[in-house]
Amino acid sequence: MSAPFPKWSNTVMRLALGALAVGVVGGLTILLTYTRSPFFTGQFSSVQQPIQFDHRHHVADNKMDCRYCHSSVETSSSAGYPATALCLNCHAQVWNKAPLLDPLRAAFFGEGTPATQLTGGAPPVRPIVWKRVHRVADYVYFNHSAHVNKGVGCVECHGRVDRMAEVTQLAPLSMGWCLDCHRDPAPHLRPKEFITSTEWDPPSSVDRVKLGQELAARYDVHPRQNCTTCHR
Amino acid sequence: MSQSLVQLGLPPEAKGRHQWRSLAERARLGFKDPPFTPEFPPGSDAAAAPEPSRRDFLTLLSASMAMAALEGCLKDKPEQVVPYTVRPEGVTPSDTLHYATAMTIGGFASGLVATSREGRPTKLEGNPDHPASRGGTGVYEQASLLQLYDPHRAKAIRRGARAESWVKFLGDVRALGVRLDAGAGASLRFLVEPDASPLHASLRARLLKRFPKAKFYAHDPLSRDAIYEGTRLALGEPLEPRPDLAKANVVVSLDADFLSPLPANRAGLLAFTARRDPARAMSRLYAVESAPTVTGMFADHRQRLRSSDVADFALALAQKLGLAFAPRAPLSPAADKLAAAIAKDLRGNRGAAVVIAGERQPAAVHALAVALNEAIGAVGDCLEYGIPLLSDVRSGPAALRELSAELRAGAVDTLVVTAWNPAYSAPGDLELASAFTRAENLVYTGLYEDETSRGASWFVPRAHWLESWGDARSFDGTATLVQPLIEPLYGGFTDAQVYAAFLGEGDKSAHDLVQDAWRASRPDVAAKWDAAVQSGAIASGAAALIAGPSSGEAIAEAIRALPAPLAPGELELGFHPGASTLDGRFANNAWLQELPDPVAKSAWGNPAWVSPATARALGVDTNDVVTLTYAGRTVTTPVLVLPGHADGVVSVHLGYGRQSGEHVARDVGFDAYKLRTADAPWFGGGVLVGRTGRRQVIPLTQEHWSMEGRDPAVDVSLKEFEAHGKERLDERRGPLPSLYPQWEKPGHQWGMAIDLAKCIGCNACTIACVAENNIPVVGPEDVIKGRVMHWIRIDRYFDEGPSGSVDEPQAITQPMACVHCENAPCEYVCPVEATVHSDEGLNEMVYNRCVGTRYCSNNCPYKVRRFNWFNFHKDVSSTERLVYNPDVTVRARGVMEKCTYCVQRIEHARIDARNRGGTIVDGGVVTACEQACPSKAIVFGDLSDRGSRVSVQHASERRYDVLHELNTRPRTVYLARVRNPNPELA
Repeated sequence: MSAPFPKWSNTVMRLALGALAVGVVGGLTILLTYTRSPFFTGQFSSVQQPIQFDHRHHVADNKMDCRYCHSSVETSSSAGYPATALCLNCHAQVWNKAPLLDPLRAAFFGEGTPATQLTGGAPPVRPIVWKRVHRVADYVYFNHSAHVNKGVGCVECHGRVDRMAEVTQLAPLSMGWCLDCHRDPAPHLRPKEFITSTEWDPPSSVDRVKLGQELAARYDVHPRQNCTTCHR
Repeated sequence: MSQSLVQLGLPPEAKGRHQWRSLAERARLGFKDPPFTPEFPPGSDAAAAPEPSRRDFLTLLSASMAMAALEGCLKDKPEQVVPYTVRPEGVTPSDTLHYATAMTIGGFASGLVATSREGRPTKLEGNPDHPASRGGTGVYEQASLLQLYDPHRAKAIRRGARAESWVKFLGDVRALGVRLDAGAGASLRFLVEPDASPLHASLRARLLKRFPKAKFYAHDPLSRDAIYEGTRLALGEPLEPRPDLAKANVVVSLDADFLSPLPANRAGLLAFTARRDPARAMSRLYAVESAPTVTGMFADHRQRLRSSDVADFALALAQKLGLAFAPRAPLSPAADKLAAAIAKDLRGNRGAAVVIAGERQPAAVHALAVALNEAIGAVGDCLEYGIPLLSDVRSGPAALRELSAELRAGAVDTLVVTAWNPAYSAPGDLELASAFTRAENLVYTGLYEDETSRGASWFVPRAHWLESWGDARSFDGTATLVQPLIEPLYGGFTDAQVYAAFLGEGDKSAHDLVQDAWRASRPDVAAKWDAAVQSGAIASGAAALIAGPSSGEAIAEAIRALPAPLAPGELELGFHPGASTLDGRFANNAWLQELPDPVAKSAWGNPAWVSPATARALGVDTNDVVTLTYAGRTVTTPVLVLPGHADGVVSVHLGYGRQSGEHVARDVGFDAYKLRTADAPWFGGGVLVGRTGRRQVIPLTQEHWSMEGRDPAVDVSLKEFEAHGKERLDERRGPLPSLYPQWEKPGHQWGMAIDLAKCIGCNACTIACVAENNIPVVGPEDVIKGRVMHWIRIDRYFDEGPSGSVDEPQAITQPMACVHCENAPCEYVCPVEATVHSDEGLNEMVYNRCVGTRYCSNNCPYKVRRFNWFNFHKDVSSTERLVYNPDVTVRARGVMEKCTYCVQRIEHARIDARNRGGTIVDGGVVTACEQACPSKAIVFGDLSDRGSRVSVQHASERRYDVLHELNTRPRTVYLARVRNPNPELA
């Protein structure tokens, strides 16, 4: 009786098993790499906003504090997006004819709507629809105030916004990235006086980690790592 | 094996005495080797659709894998952010704001604080500064939030079938008013709901000024007529009895459900339950009633009697107290013995006892209660009488009958109806819907297009109370200015605006109407308007007066006028408010429909209740469909056999069987109003029960989640407790030997304590949890399969008690949610670490890790985990989504969920406290169930703080752990219920 399988089938089998192993390992590697890639996390990609708002100009040139526009960052979970009216605090006076700000004025006054309509508490005309750059998943309950009040500066997560023509996400905003800091916050802490500063660096005589440990003690920083800290 | 566990888990005195949840379960308990009963009800894991074939299955499998792989690779579209154009003052997106307001139910206000997020109310809590609510709420207040967002609410003003505008309505009313002026309004009638609103009272006075011959009628299907008529008979004028239950050592309820979740009962409930702690002087409650109620379940002694026999019981009591009355028919020996014991107890507690008669009892019984209270010296000490705050003391069928006669006589040209749905809720024999057609103009305002709106010539959608300016008064007289939280979603108007239309002031806003009325009546409040609105409680106590003495002759006269006692063998039909629907106005509320009845534990419907003996006599059993024929009309309903129910009585519940446009309510249960008669609105003899041979499964929640014969709810008498309480409860608490090491417990350690001595089983915690935690409604079919999603359920157990009879069981209620075991059995078995323990003692559920193996639920001895068999949120309309709490994840299909100890509130409190540089103080975290509980039976807090309220409760000598023998070390502990039976009846 002849063998049911020819001899070369052994080679095929070995090759197939090898290919399977490579496939599984390779597939997993590709998937895991992919989910960590900027393409997946949304890092470094440009987001077109309805108005070409330039943080460089406002933060670096005009020295405006972050909290002028993102006013609830110290008290609320959301840092807050500025209302259109807030932009017009200045832009009713400066650059009030600039074509670049046409969308802003259209949003506030409405096209062809007399400005007087907005005075007696009439409903807002048309809000500006911005695009979110730093997005965490819906099941993540991030709270800005909890971080800012414990000495985590804006720059730690958002980067040098004062150097960005359009705001770009630099950090991966992944759970691993969050946990890195929650496990060892000291290197990321700064004195609260400089919380919104984009340029602050510890003086060269001071060790950042040591300073961080001091600050952690002073601000009673002990980040939690339980699931329900962020997921509820 | 189960036998040994039972032995281990029981306090010694209870050996041989078991708790059971239904008669079927009790039958099983009798076996030495009980037959196998599945843990989950049959069909609980069945698919909704027919099973797919193998080929379909493989197709679906590969498709779903491909989709899952694809989904992982797809990037989400950029999210849009839409900031305000002009940010409203005080509003910070993602922060909550709180406003004091009030909801009126049954004419009286419940003081509330509404939580608003970016302009939408998402939660209601009791106003802690309001003397009549003290922070507690009932089920209706919690659920009325869902009603606000109900997409089935009426949306258009219409004249006949044509949609019209408010301006057109005002024009029509103006023309109508001129015509009515000619006859001084002789043909104008109003049908209103009795309430205590000062605004409505002032508008009414002004309307009567303009139309002196117009008349106001009031209609409330659950009217308090009998109380006022009874006091009028006995004392000469209609008065409101206000018992002070904090002072009462002995309380006798004559068919009075004074612990039911209505705002009028709220303050009394808190005062009463506060006296149920054996550490203080305990009060004693006797209840005489036909169908078991939360009050009856809570009583130390409960006597079941037909409602028509309660009068005789009261007469016997009067006789034994030395009054010149005698029962018309002799009482049963047991009832007579009880009456004698009560009389003695009452005499021994002169000035510290009170008799309360229920709304269901006729005026004569209320008159008799006046005499009884006089005889025991209650008046002035435990009871005061006040001028009724309600606008109408006549709002029952008698008033409707007069209106109906006037309509049929053609005397009414214009009828303005602001009362809720009278065409549906009037007793069937009045045939009010047909009488309404006799009015040329029928103006009706309501939240929904309903049975009454069908015949309306003008229909005005009513604004929900959360959309309205108005005012209200609570049972103790405290007034509240009702402020809106949101603009009317569907363009509704308030009742006051409809009245104002008839005064030519229809163009005034609801806000101006209420402010004008207060300016005229209380300029001191109007001067500090904003402060008054903000506080939500304006002191204006109801005047009390000591009335009496009562007229014995008038009472005797009223007793003689009572219908003769029922003949033996004559079946009584009793009507009760629906626990979920009240009188029917909440019938379209899915949260309430899914809430099981506190006693019967049935949801989605109103089966007729009968006692086991009556069921045997009638040859019916639970789920059998019968016909009920009464006063010439017949309805069909399934039967529910309920232990503790009076024999010879069929009890039905009002508010079901709706046939109008209300989508949720339609065809749920049967319409009991059809059987109701104007002469005897609450009970009457002569109902005929016919068998149909059909069966219909009642959605019951009590049979789910088997407890394997263990007795989890501890219930002892005061005597037993004082004699052996400590050592017996010691067996059910304290550390047990364990192989696992103890771990460090730094920081907060959250825990809860539930005092069974205070829990009346009202369900307020369950529905507060539903509102807080985005818990879905599953519907009747899935309730039958055991898929109810409630994170906290109220278990109700019966045991034979001292009577030793299945017919007269004791009942105890026990709220049960995840107890957050320190050695949590669910955590060991999860293959993906989706349920883990936090350093603060929380058993956490991580939805994103959960793959739905359900091992955790299998291994949970408390059966408190809930599985999302379907995406229950899929078909929720965009309006209803506004009710979601954004702080809590809306769970998807295929994940397990359970009580989180309201972790979103803990984290919120932590961030708030730490931002301020402090730590969470005791009372800083209040869970939704704790906050809602009207009797303050639930306490939550930090166990590492030795002085916290919860630590004190954990150290109580009544504390015990449910299933202590399993050494799960639960963080939620219970305080045993202690009953205070009369030693003479032991």
